[in-house]
Amino acid sequence: MSTPPHAPAPAQARAQARAAAQQADRADPGAGAAGADLSAPRGRPGATGAPVDARPGAPSRGLRFVHAQYALALVVAGLCLSPFALVFAISLGEVEAGAAWNWGVSAANYARVFVGLDWPESASFVYMRKLGWSLAYAALGAVIAVAFAFPFAWAMTRRSRRAQTVWLVFLLSSLSLSEVFVVMGWDVLLSNRSGLPMAFRETGLTDWLKAVGWFDVLREIGLATPRNVRFKPSVFATVLTLSYLVFPYAVILLYPALSRLDPAMMEAARTMGARPFTVIRTVALPACRLPIAGAALLLFVYLLGAYVAVTVFADPSRQTLTITIYESVRGATLNAPFGAAQAMVLLVTAVACLGASLALAKRAERRS
Amino acid sequence: MIPAPRPRARIRLRPTPGGVAGWLYLAWCAVFVAAPILVVCASALNGGRSMLFPPQDPTLDRFVEFFVTDEVWTRALRLSAIIAVSSAALATALAWPVAYGLWRGASRLSKALGAGLAMPFALPPIVFGVGLGFLWVFAGLIGTVEAAILSHAALHAALPLATISIGLQSVERAHLDAAATLGATERVIFRTIILPQTIPYTASGFFFALVLSFNEFIVTFFVSASAYSTVTLQIFNSLRNGFTPTMAVGAIAFILTSVLAFGLVARFGDLPRLMGADPARR
Repeated sequence: MSTPPHAPAPAQARAQARAAAQQADRADPGAGAAGADLSAPRGRPGATGAPVDARPGAPSRGLRFVHAQYALALVVAGLCLSPFALVFAISLGEVEAGAAWNWGVSAANYARVFVGLDWPESASFVYMRKLGWSLAYAALGAVIAVAFAFPFAWAMTRRSRRAQTVWLVFLLSSLSLSEVFVVMGWDVLLSNRSGLPMAFRETGLTDWLKAVGWFDVLREIGLATPRNVRFKPSVFATVLTLSYLVFPYAVILLYPALSRLDPAMMEAARTMGARPFTVIRTVALPACRLPIAGAALLLFVYLLGAYVAVTVFADPSRQTLTITIYESVRGATLNAPFGAAQAMVLLVTAVACLGASLALAKRAERRS
Repeated sequence: MIPAPRPRARIRLRPTPGGVAGWLYLAWCAVFVAAPILVVCASALNGGRSMLFPPQDPTLDRFVEFFVTDEVWTRALRLSAIIAVSSAALATALAWPVAYGLWRGASRLSKALGAGLAMPFALPPIVFGVGLGFLWVFAGLIGTVEAAILSHAALHAALPLATISIGLQSVERAHLDAAATLGATERVIFRTIILPQTIPYTASGFFFALVLSFNEFIVTFFVSASAYSTVTLQIFNSLRNGFTPTMAVGAIAFILTSVLAFGLVARFGDLPRLMGADPARR
């Protein structure tokens, strides 16, 4: 099989040649820097395999770099970490009349999320139910996406490097497409006036469904009106859109593991007479068990924050915590501390899952 | 007696199911991925005000409306572009020193910086959006374009951080050794070896951040004010009145931008490598 030379290789080679040439121009054997190299403090041996020894870092420069890093730390703390800290701090506050709120140290907002406002007289699990829907949608969407993505990533990694590149561009473009546009597309596809329900009616599929009696089943699970099928609002439409949203992510997360699978293993299985499907089931799938679980967890975390798809496709009684977070922070109910508390609950759930996925990834690395 | 393995007609070099089933499955998934996108694109041709599929009395008026005549959309598009380009540049500028620090020697500070920069991207964006909303209220910047740029840069810095780190790992060690023994200072090595060899990766990271910022919705939703809106925000705000074909034009513009950006990354960078393929295998 001949793989065409990959596009960037010439560019890389050019850059390398240029660098080497410049280096040769600058070669000055008499310079003291080479001597200074020996006395320069050696950095810690790079845990990442960084070629520390190759660098002749004079102490003053190293020191300056550390200073720059401290300045950078301030920026990162201010921009990336302080928002999370603020959410936590505000979640402990109390709301005043109107939209105003005060700092505080009360757990009342959390109590309201978990057991309702009237605790301990009576318990209400409105927000817990919403969290439940968040978890259910996210879990379903992630699992379905990974289930469809695994064979896709498998089939993709069997192609030539160039074909893989084309598929990657396709996937990345669809992956980066805004949730807003994806929802718009499915909204058109699932809307009652055009799209699939119309196609069902026009092609006679609806009549056929009625004839075989499956229509009643659809009506029972809320996917049809007496006249025709109806896909939104429904859990089906929500989960469909969510798994659509993360399908390309799932492929891209599984791609490294599958493209690094040792071909020798598969060759061995094939020469021993295993059928292609058996190879996937008995060699590839077990070898990718941990990446698969890790990918599912990551996508689950991502889907916990889904907003647009849920507002558009989920029935109001089956909406998630993200909707009420928005309502509390900027929408109708305006209770920032309470919204922050809900966000914290979502955050803790996400962090726990991320921790689990990191642990899985570590285990996978240790094993390989 | 041990049964002999079934003889195969021929053993291919890649004895894996790459055949018809694989192709069919790939094609089927491609249709699934493309379907809603194509439907949106086709809806842009509608002559009327509603999103019908298949489109009714097709026209290209909506394109003129979106790009030229309708003030709401042209302003939103300009704002989206400004935010995307500046935040991607800022994210790349933030990510470079962090990635370099990590590569240079993973001190505790470098590691903390890397983790801090990657955190917003790894956690549900709605939580980060809520936090940024609070932050900009305190800073007095809520609803400004600057706030949106800074927010997107913080959210997407993880992408250039990842691509630049991959690029730095691919720098030829032999070149560094050669340069060092020939007496090049760290600055010279950086300028003549590290920088040229990592440019494709830097550009890739920039484009990743750019495209994602262009399409970002939820964080913008929390840091914006009614005074301005980006294209995605404008579409969401019009959601209550239903989608119109003009928005579908927006979708087309966005998809083309993504394809162009990732096409550039694929042309000038090593996309399979960036996505984690084994660099040794071609």
